[in-house]
Amino acid sequence: MAFYEENPSSITKADMVLAIPTFNEAGTISHTTMQAAKGLAEYFGNFESVIVNCDSHSTDGTKDAFFSTPTGMAKIYISTPPDRPGKGNNLRNLFEKVRELEARIVVVLEADIRNVAPHWVRNLGEPIVKGSGYVCPLYVRHKYEATLSSSLVYPLMRCLYGRRVRQPNVGDFGFRGDLVDAFLSSPVWTESVQHFGIDVWMTTIAMNARVPICQSLIGAPKIHRMKDPYAHLPVLFPQVIGAIFDLMMAYEDYWHQVKWSKPTLLYGTDTHNVETSVPTEVNVTLLHELFLQGFDRYNDLWQNLYDQTVGPKLQEIRSLGLQHFSFPTQTWARILFDMAKSYAQAEEPKRAVLRDSLLPLYLGKVLSFVKKTERMSIQQAEDYVENECTTFEETKPYLLKVWE
Amino acid sequence: MSKILVVDDEEHIRLLYSEELKEAGYEVITADSGLKLLERIEAEKPDLVVLDIKMVDYNGLDLLQDIRNRFYDLPVVLSTAYDTFKEDTKSIAADFYVVKSFDLTELKKRIAVALETRLPS
Repeated sequence: MAFYEENPSSITKADMVLAIPTFNEAGTISHTTMQAAKGLAEYFGNFESVIVNCDSHSTDGTKDAFFSTPTGMAKIYISTPPDRPGKGNNLRNLFEKVRELEARIVVVLEADIRNVAPHWVRNLGEPIVKGSGYVCPLYVRHKYEATLSSSLVYPLMRCLYGRRVRQPNVGDFGFRGDLVDAFLSSPVWTESVQHFGIDVWMTTIAMNARVPICQSLIGAPKIHRMKDPYAHLPVLFPQVIGAIFDLMMAYEDYWHQVKWSKPTLLYGTDTHNVETSVPTEVNVTLLHELFLQGFDRYNDLWQNLYDQTVGPKLQEIRSLGLQHFSFPTQTWARILFDMAKSYAQAEEPKRAVLRDSLLPLYLGKVLSFVKKTERMSIQQAEDYVENECTTFEETKPYLLKVWE
Repeated sequence: MSKILVVDDEEHIRLLYSEELKEAGYEVITADSGLKLLERIEAEKPDLVVLDIKMVDYNGLDLLQDIRNRFYDLPVVLSTAYDTFKEDTKSIAADFYVVKSFDLTELKKRIAVALETRLPS
């Protein structure tokens, strides 16, 4: 992919790349760039480093804000053409630039993190220096934050690829420079991956590349610009789930061989000042309404799609009131496995309908999670998620059977 | 036959685990502390380690980090008298954890799963 580039210092080689993907982040990129530069200077002073803003043709002055931020560090700006938006496309440009620069260490930080600090750069970069191939952060999270990870992405990826990576689609990473070869040669580069599916795509490829994976404790929550989770979900959800299903088809030989799961390396266990999570409110009434509305729209599709034990179970869940609402994890796992198989057999635009039809069921699963864990501490809720993952792993033989 | 290294500073626990796990068909070797544990693992190449968390001279969670750093994929089952250790994030680097008991059903189950875990090489 050809990209637009401005490289005022004419940098042709670098040991380390700190990348900031953006789309119209003029208001936030300076802060992130400054914190990143401090982190590079403080912890990686012996390395030749460069900060790369990989942009999606922003029109709000992101590039000018990036270049005008005083850092004392070399900077490169690259951008997709106007007709090729998406975070995935931004990062693909980054991979090509990393290969060109022959960088050994790459750290990616999203631009809109309000509380990003220099030690985040260390925690994502140092495990790579010490031999890891791919680093995912472990942010401090409230039990109802990032439910897409807790209820779907983490248990599904864990049972498929056998690695316990708790926050695999978080948007910030560290990785070994030569991993870009695996990224750039991946057989999967779908519409979903080119947008918000890019994060699960990267983690999945790292797992399949068999590089040592590390989880790095950041010791803080990740505080973004305020977003309405319900407003973004109809766009985000199908892209993430689409990317996971697209990857399942490409890597079926791998995940067929995986049984149970293994933990990963941990970095940052000596972090002393651990901040508390930001309380997250969940509107259970809205979740329940959206779940029930799914039956109006998709009931016929669901009855045809799912295993004969799932159909009656869904009707039973439907009949439960909000007070007693419960969505068994085994049913949820079977739904995802059946859906993955149907998705693999379908073509677009049928696939788009399948992706969308899963959203109300996911919201029902989140509602169930909230009900089950409402009196639990964050640690107890984490144990609950771990048990859900075990159920997914125990149910995996069903996936192997339906996939045949 | 899978080889299991039991690391515990209490002799009666080492004896109990050895006898029961041998009966279950495993080869068992033991260590009474974390002293030179990594060298021992390097030399004896166990298939799995059962690691006590609270030993007099060693913290099992720190030893777990050392094991993970050097033997990335070696299965480790943490064994402890208390379950409060779960509040320490270091414990997530273990394959499993069990609370010490004279009934080793849970431990044997976890060992079997950990040894059965398969990732393509």
